[in-house]
Amino acid sequence: MLNVFHNLEISHYIYLSTVLFSIGLFGVLFRRNAIVLLMCIELMLNSVNLLLAAFTEYMGDANANGQMFVFFIMVVAAAEAAVGLAILVMVYRNTRKTDVSFLDQLKD
Amino acid sequence: MIGIALVFLGGVITLFWGLNKSESKSLWILRFFMLLSALLSGAEGQGWVDFSELFKWVPAHMLNFNAFKLSMVSILSFFGFYILSLLPSTYKKGADVLGLFAFALTGAMMMVGSQHLVMLFLGLEVLSIPLFVLAGSEKENIYGNEAAMKYFLMGAFSTAIFLLGAAFTYGGSGTLILSEIQMKLSFAAHFGEFPVLLKAGVILMSVGLLFKVSAVPFHFWSPDVYEGSPNRVATFMAVIVKVAGFVAFAQLINTFSPMQIWINQWIVPVSILTILVGNIAALVQQTVKRTLAYSSISHAGYLLLFLILPMEENLPILGTYLLSYGLGTIILFYLMDKYSADGEKSFEMFKNIKNNKIDMAALVIGTLSIAGVPSTIGFVAKYQLFSAAFSQNHYSVYLALLGSAISIAYYFKPFRYALAETNEVDAEQNSINGLFSQICLITGMLLIITLGLLPMITERIF
Repeated sequence: MLNVFHNLEISHYIYLSTVLFSIGLFGVLFRRNAIVLLMCIELMLNSVNLLLAAFTEYMGDANANGQMFVFFIMVVAAAEAAVGLAILVMVYRNTRKTDVSFLDQLKD
Repeated sequence: MIGIALVFLGGVITLFWGLNKSESKSLWILRFFMLLSALLSGAEGQGWVDFSELFKWVPAHMLNFNAFKLSMVSILSFFGFYILSLLPSTYKKGADVLGLFAFALTGAMMMVGSQHLVMLFLGLEVLSIPLFVLAGSEKENIYGNEAAMKYFLMGAFSTAIFLLGAAFTYGGSGTLILSEIQMKLSFAAHFGEFPVLLKAGVILMSVGLLFKVSAVPFHFWSPDVYEGSPNRVATFMAVIVKVAGFVAFAQLINTFSPMQIWINQWIVPVSILTILVGNIAALVQQTVKRTLAYSSISHAGYLLLFLILPMEENLPILGTYLLSYGLGTIILFYLMDKYSADGEKSFEMFKNIKNNKIDMAALVIGTLSIAGVPSTIGFVAKYQLFSAAFSQNHYSVYLALLGSAISIAYYFKPFRYALAETNEVDAEQNSINGLFSQICLITGMLLIITLGLLPMITERIF
């Protein structure tokens, strides 16, 4: 099973993570539900994690810098999700909506 | 380093000590720590004291402060102190909001000192995440909610883009340490062609940072977020985020200096677009806060011009500009906050300002400085920046001058109301806190004038 992954070239990983990242990016741009937006942002961050892990393996980095970076990103993503959900709960209490269409009060 | 330690310590102490007390008591502790951090980092930057022995356990390839960065840390702490001294609280319950200010400032300092992409990313996030919470610290206010949500979505989105850039850079160079990336790049420069991964990396990382410093075309969130957030938080976003963001941005572009010619091809248009769009949009705004938001966008444009200069010998220009921008912006936000207390949001709010001599002087000096009129630090900063940029690119400087000519029109708008005849005279009320903020305000005005008349002082500082 492991051999299958070793036979993949680095370019496959780059394409895969770019596609995953773009799915997340277009999700953030076009979806209206705030919870879905949070999921899309997580998807973007995780595609970066995949790419970093793949690069570390590919380059044989002895210090595993890229994989160390992955852990930092995971911690920060968790903190970000916590804050994001808290903001969402606060918004929901005031507007009874989880839809981002309420984000137009401040236009003039 | 001492700055990070002191401000972090101040934040933790404020959080625990002020758990059940009112905000104003714990505020003094935090102000003390921020001022101490400003003084000690400034002294270390000048070489009068040396704390490097204390912090030699910090890996130098992760976080390292040279003299310029120490001065920037000192200025960041001073701005934090200044914002918390001038702008009153809108939140009375406890000290948690103050703790968040301290932690955000810690993140800004980490960004300034970062030598490693992981550290840069962590600093960016430690700066941003408390600000997401602070933007929504007025929980019942629907505009505050909107600002928090918008800032959070934009912040998380730009972070993800920045991270993809960092991953591509890692893939292209095999390292995350900025100096090693630079070495790899100058090696690649000998062969003429740069790896595509590195080009994609620097573009994506720059887009992430351009979101943070709100440069056009990534600026659309910032006027809304500033308007919805409490005034104190909006000032913090406008000043601290931009100062830290630009120091980090300059360092990042300096890392990629072997491909400077290629970078200039897209930095210059972004800069000119930011200056023109920021200034023209500021002209048509109705409320003072949105005008100030667009003014800070246009200043981001001037600062982007700095990035086309050769970095090392021009760093004093960046320091002077950021100092002048911060001082002027904080003073104008303070006046806006003070005179919008009765709900008046348009420029009408300044119609009674001439009853208060100190505030009137602050309005004049702050406006002149941020508009770049001679004898203020704003003029020194703009003059140095434009004359250095002129040797690199003539046309961008012409357009920047056009932009700053446009800016005079909206910076002088308050005077139309401030100098108009009014008969109302309302009595001045002064409290202890009022006295302290008056002293801070006068200090700021004196700094603007002194550094404007004696530019050699700023040359000595940086």
